[in-house]
Amino acid sequence: MANVTETVGVTGHGGAHAHPDFLQHHFDTPKQQFAAAKLGMWLFIATEILMFGGLFCAYAIWRALDPEVFDQAHHFLNKIMGASNTVVLLFSSLTAALAVRSAQLGKRNQTSIYLVVTILCACAFLVIKYFEYSHKIHLGLLPGHCFGHPGFSGSIQNGEEVGTCLRVRGDTPAGNPEWVRAVDEDGRIQLLSPRANMFFGLYFIMTGLHGVHVIIGMSILTWVLVKNIQGKFSKEYFTPVDLGALYWHLVDLVWIYLFPLLYLVGKPE
Amino acid sequence: MALEHPHADHHDSLDDGGVHAHVSSAQFYWGIFAALVLLTIATVKVSYYDFGSLNILVALLIASIKATLVATFFMHLRYDSLFNTLTFIASFLFLALFILLTYDDLGHRAKYDVDYGSSVMLRTGQAAPGGMPATTATANEVPGAPPGPAEKK
Repeated sequence: MANVTETVGVTGHGGAHAHPDFLQHHFDTPKQQFAAAKLGMWLFIATEILMFGGLFCAYAIWRALDPEVFDQAHHFLNKIMGASNTVVLLFSSLTAALAVRSAQLGKRNQTSIYLVVTILCACAFLVIKYFEYSHKIHLGLLPGHCFGHPGFSGSIQNGEEVGTCLRVRGDTPAGNPEWVRAVDEDGRIQLLSPRANMFFGLYFIMTGLHGVHVIIGMSILTWVLVKNIQGKFSKEYFTPVDLGALYWHLVDLVWIYLFPLLYLVGKPE
Repeated sequence: MALEHPHADHHDSLDDGGVHAHVSSAQFYWGIFAALVLLTIATVKVSYYDFGSLNILVALLIASIKATLVATFFMHLRYDSLFNTLTFIASFLFLALFILLTYDDLGHRAKYDVDYGSSVMLRTGQAAPGGMPATTATANEVPGAPPGPAEKK
């Protein structure tokens, strides 16, 4: 990111070869500096995709091993809330793209307005997520709550209620499985396999890591907004607006895959 | 959809060292957003139909169309350096490699025994290290347990 506090001033004499304030000394031209910043951002986006990739890999493997349990457990996610959050994020991506467009045209106030709308959408996303999380935590679907590791849950009595779910113990050759009884989003009583723990574990970790990215994205956009209000950007120099928006679009991209994989995939009932 | 060109086209060929980004019109961005919302509605609608094992492919196909729209237009890859696009696509290729090799490893290391909920070594037939201890059976096999899943209220 360019050091905007460095005030070198115009060092060149010819108009075309002027050295503007925002251009760092190790770059020849603003164009070169912009291209380098973009390349760096895209490399960073690639590492982000690979970081989420580890979780997507875990999801793919566990889903392939346990399709029925994933199918059953996904009925505990609310499609309407998930779809609303998708639209909220898509809209925030639109306003982020429009903020960059305004910055490209040098319309400072318009850029600020679009950035504020983007940040507000991020807040709305987190509020919806809060309602989803609190409902699931209330149901006891958080790992370690209703779902305990068999090695650590010896003290749980048969039929003991944890939150609103019920742990049921039965004797099988395989040991003492603890089934979890809870009401899903369609209002049906489901008897969840203890292995549904893996689905909810992945759900909380994947959406949680995504949520952390939403918060980081909000902070970045707020920083860009402050700099924009201070008048640090212009038609010639809007790199931070562009890169901040790229980060925000990445957050959107990850959610575009998370939503169908967690909320929608499975047999409809 | 109309595209605006606030910078005259000859600026692109004339390299004055300045940043001359392609500026799409606001209507164009709204059009992309409308397409994304329609695809979101479509993916929710089709989730109520059962295509069997194709469910996940249909969902991933629609998600990939949406991701392509976001990357191409919102993230400006259409007008950006080709190398950035390659960087982006390469990350997905390496992710695919990662998942495929993990699948391959899983298929050759141990076999998953659904009845016992654990992995079994192919050569010895013993439980493979790691993972949860055997804790599973289907609901119908549990004596005295409440009736099976999807019980109507």
